[in-house]
Order: sequence, then C-alpha cells, then structure tokens
Amino acid sequence: MITKKLALEVLNVALSTGGDFAEIFLEETYSGNYTVENGKTQAPATSLTYGAGIRILKGLQSVYGHTSDLSKKGLLNLATALSAGFDGQRVLSVEKLKNVRVRKNHELEKSLELVDINEIVEKLKITNKVMKDYDEKIVRAISVLLTDVRNITIFNSEGNAFTDKQERVRLVFQAIAMAPGAFEYSYNGPGAHKGFEYVEGLDLEKIARDVADVAVRKLTAAECPSGKMPVVIGNGFGGVIFHEACGHPLEASSVSKGLSPFAGKVGKQIAHPAVTAVDDGTIVNGWGSNNIDDEGVKTKKNVLIKNGILQSYLVDRFNGRRMGIESNGTGRRQNYTFEPTSRMSNTYIAAGKYTPEEIISSVKLGLYAKSLGGGQVNPATGDFNFACDEAYIIRDGKVAELVKGASLVGNGADILMKIDMVANDLERAQGMCGADSGSVPVDVGQPTIRVSEITVGGRGGALQ
Amino acid sequence: MNVKKFFELAKEKGLEAAELVIQKNKGIEMSVYDESVEKYTLASTINVLARGIYKGKMGFAMSEKDDKTTAQYLVAQIKMSAGVSETEDLSIIFEGSPKYRKKSFFNKELATISESTKLESLFTIEKALKKAHPLITSVSTVQYSEIESDYKLFNSYGLKLTNKQNYFYYGTWVVAKEGDDVKSHVEVFLDNDYSKFDADTFVKKAADGVIEKLGGKPCATKDYPVVFNPKMTASLLAAYLTSASADRVEKNTSLFADKLNERVASSKVTVLDAPLTANLFYRYFDDEGVAKTNKPIIKNGILQTFFHNLSTATKMGVEPTGHGRNTGGRISVGISNITLKPGRNDFDTLIKDIKEGVFITELMGLHSGLNTTSGDFSLQAAGFMIRDGKVAEPVNLITVAGNLVKLFNDVKAVANENELQLSSYTTSSILVKSLKIAG
Repeated sequence: MITKKLALEVLNVALSTGGDFAEIFLEETYSGNYTVENGKTQAPATSLTYGAGIRILKGLQSVYGHTSDLSKKGLLNLATALSAGFDGQRVLSVEKLKNVRVRKNHELEKSLELVDINEIVEKLKITNKVMKDYDEKIVRAISVLLTDVRNITIFNSEGNAFTDKQERVRLVFQAIAMAPGAFEYSYNGPGAHKGFEYVEGLDLEKIARDVADVAVRKLTAAECPSGKMPVVIGNGFGGVIFHEACGHPLEASSVSKGLSPFAGKVGKQIAHPAVTAVDDGTIVNGWGSNNIDDEGVKTKKNVLIKNGILQSYLVDRFNGRRMGIESNGTGRRQNYTFEPTSRMSNTYIAAGKYTPEEIISSVKLGLYAKSLGGGQVNPATGDFNFACDEAYIIRDGKVAELVKGASLVGNGADILMKIDMVANDLERAQGMCGADSGSVPVDVGQPTIRVSEITVGGRGGALQ
Repeated sequence: MNVKKFFELAKEKGLEAAELVIQKNKGIEMSVYDESVEKYTLASTINVLARGIYKGKMGFAMSEKDDKTTAQYLVAQIKMSAGVSETEDLSIIFEGSPKYRKKSFFNKELATISESTKLESLFTIEKALKKAHPLITSVSTVQYSEIESDYKLFNSYGLKLTNKQNYFYYGTWVVAKEGDDVKSHVEVFLDNDYSKFDADTFVKKAADGVIEKLGGKPCATKDYPVVFNPKMTASLLAAYLTSASADRVEKNTSLFADKLNERVASSKVTVLDAPLTANLFYRYFDDEGVAKTNKPIIKNGILQTFFHNLSTATKMGVEPTGHGRNTGGRISVGISNITLKPGRNDFDTLIKDIKEGVFITELMGLHSGLNTTSGDFSLQAAGFMIRDGKVAEPVNLITVAGNLVKLFNDVKAVANENELQLSSYTTSSILVKSLKIAG
C-alpha cells in the first residue's frame, strides 16, 4: 500500500524525539453484508476500510494516530504530530526494512473475492425459506452472510515488514416468532477464517431449522424461576461465560495495571482442579485465528489454566513492557483506527472426563442453560451477567421443561472455583468480542460443564 | 472527493438519482495513568457513503479510501447492490424540505485551548482522585477526548446540507477496595464549552461514586417500588422507544403496532423529539436530507407519532419526521435527541414517601437481557435501598425483572434533574410503582 522507502522515512520521523519503538499498521479491508429477510434480498452493503495507524512507544508511554490519507504528506504529517508527544533526543533509527515470511496456516479454496453474488443470494434464500416455512408463527426470518477480506501490512522499527491476508466468512440466522402477546427470538452464527467452501460444507438447512424451532418453542415456555441453584451450561457458545468472566481479566491490559482479580496469581489455584483453559490463535481456519497478530507477532496456543492452576496471561507488546513479559501473539485491533492491545482469539475450556448425560443426571433440581446469549463483565470486580438463549429446568437428573427469560449472575473468580464437573464434548462457537481495541472475531468454547451454584435471574418466582 | 465528478459518473453509468454523504472526523484523545501520559491519540478519518437508484432500486456502498478511483468503485458497488435488491423499502433520493432551521453550536474556542492545559488537568485530576479517599486503590485511567466532525450531504437534485459539530469529554474509571469488596465507578463529563468543566466537582463525583458503592450486598427477593436514576431511565426509554420506530411497526416487531393515539405510558410520561434543542447534539436535518423539528412523541402517556424515514412515511401516507439514519449506506430509522419532560419535584421529593424501595443506578446486560420485541427484561442491577424516604445502604448483584410496557405504565412520577446523557437523551429519575427484584 506504501513503499518501503516511504515507510522508512515515516518510521524515522516518528522516532525523532526519543521513541524507542515505532510501527506503521496499514489496512485495506473489503467487507460485505448480504441479507435476505422474509424471502426478499436486501441491497447488499459493501464497505472499504482503508488507512494507517502509526504508533510510537517510549518506555511505558505510547502515542497513536491514524489517518485514511496514505499520501506521503498525510503520513509524514501524522508522524510529525505524534512525535511531538515526546520531547527527547533520537535514540534509534531504522536503516532497512526486511520482509518477514509469514507462514500461511489458514489455506482456503474459494476466495471470497471471487464468489458470485448470485451464489450467495441462493444459499441465503434457501435457508430463509426453511426458517419462514418452519411454522406460521415465524414472523421474521433473517439470513445474513458476512464477508471480510483484510489485507494488512506492518512495518516496525525492529526493521521488519509483515504482510498478511485474512479472509473470514460468517452466516447469521435469526428468527422471530410471535403469538398473541408474545415475541421470541433465536439465532445462530457460525463462521470461519476460510473461503466460501466453509459455507458450502455446512448443513445450512439444519442450522436454520433449529433456530426457527427454538424461537417457536420459547413462545409457550414458562418464565424462568430465580434464585441460587446448580446450573449445567451446554457446550459451544456456553463458553462465553468463561470468555467474559475469566478471559477478559486474564488480558494484560487489565492484569498489568493490577486491575484484575487474577493479577499476581500465576502458579496459584484460581479454578477448580477440573478446569483447564486455553487460548489458541493457531487453530486451522478458526474464526478467531490468525497467522500473525496485529503487531506482527506469530500467534500461539497459550495454556491459561491447567488443572485449576493459573499458567499465563494474554500479553501484547505494550502491556508486556509493564509486566516485563514478551508478547505471546495476542495484540489485536478491529482496524487501523485502534491501537492494538491484548485480546483473546479462540478461547475454550478443555474437555474433561464426564459424559454430558452424567453431568445432567447429577443434578436433582437446577437449570440447564443449553445455549447462552450475550453477556457483560466488569473487569475490575469480575461481576458478570449472561442471558440464556435456550434453557431448561433439570428435574431428578433429567432435562424437563423449557423456560424463557433466564439470566446467570455471578462473579468470575468465584464461578471458576465452582465449575466442578467438565464433560468430554468440547465444541467452539463464533462471536464478536468488543473491548478497548474494538470488535474482533473470536471463538468461545467449552464442553458441557456443571457449576455447583450460581444466581439465576428470571421472572418465574422460586424454583420448585 | 470530487463531488461533481461522482454525480457525472453516476449519470453516465445509468443511475437515476444519487446521493453522497462525506463525513470527516478529527479527534484527539489523551489519558494518564500512574502520573505519566499513557495514551495520546490523534485521529483523522474520512468516510464516503454513497447511494444511488438503479433500475428503480436503491443500492449503496461505503469507502474510507478517497482518491481518483473512489467514484468508480462506489458507482460499481451501487449497481451491484441495487441489481440484486428485492427490498420493499421505497427507493427515494430526497429533493429537499421547504425549510431548514440551520444553527451552529460548533464551539470555535475549544480547539484554541492548548493541549498542555488539557493534559495538565488530567494529572491534577489523577492526583486529586488518589487522595480523595483512603479506600480508593486505583485510578485506572483519566481521559480527555475531543472530537470535531464535519458532515456534508449532496444529491443529484442539487441539495447540499452541512453540519459541523464538536465536543469534549473527560472520563475516569476509579476502583475502591474494602476488605474483599471491590467496586468500580466510571465518571464522565461531556460538553463543548470548556469553561463549564470544573475539575474539583468531577473528582468529587467520581470519588463519591465509587465509595458509596462499597459494602453493597444483594437485598431480599420481592417486589419493591423502584427509582431509576436519569442515566438508567435513558437506557430503558431508548429500549422502549425502538417500538415507535416505523420500520419496527412495518416488520411487526413493535410493541406499539396499533397504539397510535393510544396509551403507551402513564400520564406522567411526556417524551419529546428535540433535535433543535441548543446543545452539542443539535441536528437540523437527517441522513436523507429531511428537515428535523421538535415535536412530542408521547404526550401524557399517549403515543402521538411513529419515527419515520422517507420510505416508511411514504408507505404509511404521512409526512417524514426526519429520522432517516444512514448505516453504511442502508437507511434505517434512527432515534436520538430525546427529552423526557421533567416533573415538578426534585429527587428528594420523588423518594420521600417510599418506605422501602430500591434506587437503581446501574444496569448491566441491556443488550442481551432485554428483549425490545416482547418488552421483557431481566437485568443485573446495582444501586441503593431506599428506606423511610431516604437513600440508604448500597445493593449489588441483584436482578430486576419485568416488562417495559408495564414499567412505563407504572411510572408514578418523574423528577426534575433534566440531565443530558452521552446518548443524546435528556432525562430525569423516574419512580416505578413496583418491580420484581431478586437478590
């Protein structure tokens, strides 16, 4: 997108006032949003994200700027303005930029750039019809295909130049069911760091049917009871609870400032011995995977918790400085307008020894949160809450009636100690994670787990 | 962007009408941590949103790249987009409203205050916060942001509208600890007149905000009268008003479908659409170029109108209300600049007759625990007990559950704070007859 000669010039201007590290992050991303709603194709929305972010570090200080003007003048002006953030003498200059070979781990067969629009529309129409025709109570069915072709180039003052191309595709199915006085909603959104062959390999009709089915069944479900109870959380998207309540507090952005309840706890028991948790940015074609992170560092498989003992944090370059630890490939950003920081990639609780049936049958009276919706966590306190998309009451070790409006409320550090049974049915699910450096694609995941006790919110009174 | 060239090319390539929105944003953000500058960010972006009608259908595209190739790229994307569209939304590029109430609340002074003054203030605030109370254990950030935006709309009918805005905000995130109890608090100040910012008041509010939360515990599970502070009122009102959006009505996902001129809230509730109010969110035209006006949406509990863009208004045979919003080229209905008409009494009077109630100052999970289509919600909350007409001990990790329709019909009184929120809403505390609280 810019020549190495210009990159060198910009880096050296950036370093002119005493910065000890400088970086240019260039991005050109083509995104598409293709939607069919109630049988009708909507006009697709395409967008081009284009620009550069320049960062200068000096010790524990950082300055960052971004611009969509990639002309020589635009970039040099920005570098000059940023360098004014420091008032020292030059300590470093860059002589040469060499290309660093980036190993491609996420090969694809059918590039999203070459897929015919009619092929996309056809897939969406079929699934949309499946949802709409599933039941007359489905009033709104939406099938969406999202594509992202992201070209990035990174130059830094260590003399390195990296380039990578990242293609991602995701489907989002949403169904809204209506009956007199009641509306219910359900959704599913599978995706991958892969080409269009990912879409062709999915059983789209089954996914669509299941979404419609949950929405319709929720219409007649009773309100979820509230109070403290044992809860079994289903595999796949259930892992969002670990992501929000434990993954975020393990990010260096929070740990390095001592804000996390897990700060200073490496080597200590922070979870029940049944819990082993991993953040793996290398999973082939994983939605949250990358060859390199947005600082040019190779992604890794980072074991966070092993048998309940804290092993490591998620560390980016800048926060790593404060902690005296090297980056472990987790510096990410939504796009060039964000300064990178430590983020999750594909985070999951590893498989355990029980079968899901054994876990369900161990609960006399409680909740089975088969799938969760979104949630929130306060990183300083670890307090969290999650909405359940699909939840059932467990009676005498058996999954009983479906309930709606359930939410799980608790504290991250506390719940980790209460995950006392982990099943062998590990699955991952896709989501978008929002934090300081924007919204990035991540996988969450887990096998079916049992939490010995957690507060359930709902409108159905006490559990009986 | 060569505007003239874009419209020439659009015409040449067979577009029947076209529109271009060019947004330029400039910003600066500074934050300090542990007595040194932690972040210093300069931002400059350009965003070109283009729409056009091709064979009777609307197509659109967005680009941050602004060079010789941009017009070509946008026109090609518009044609692809329109080419497959089967949408039932009407394709309208607007010829213009008869009258626009253009004013400017852009504050030229703001950019003239030196960066070092602004940066210095952050150090002062951080120092003061650390000393404000012995239980404050960390000030995780103190931040200053300033944003200037320049918005221009052009179309092939010759319409040209511009709006320039700026604002600044201070934000801090403070943590306090007492034994095992950790609480955090975010304090924000927003304006575009720098002289209105007082660092001492800001520090006091931030410190009090976190200290008073310490010791919060769940309360007994039962139904209580509940008071929401202005900020939470704004969040709940925003969720409720999505039902007044005409596209939700069209799509059958509104709680207000057949409620026009009917009761949707208690008689204490009057909601105004107030885009022309003299504040930093002032807007005099929407994203389709329709003139904005001030008008009641809910009057003494009765729904007066839906929020419309050009397509929904034309289909329902009413005048557009100036609520077209452009999201990446796609036009939806956008709701902002809402004022909940304040009541006569202050907050103390609002709560004086409550024997035992809950005052909610925080709601979590609004995006997932609240269903705007059914109105049902079950949200994690925190705040304070109200005992014998006074705010008493803090409560934490409670859930409040109910339905928005019932909540707004159960509003017994609105206080008079009239506070401008970051979301552009201006709201006051409300007292709700009864809600289920689970501890």
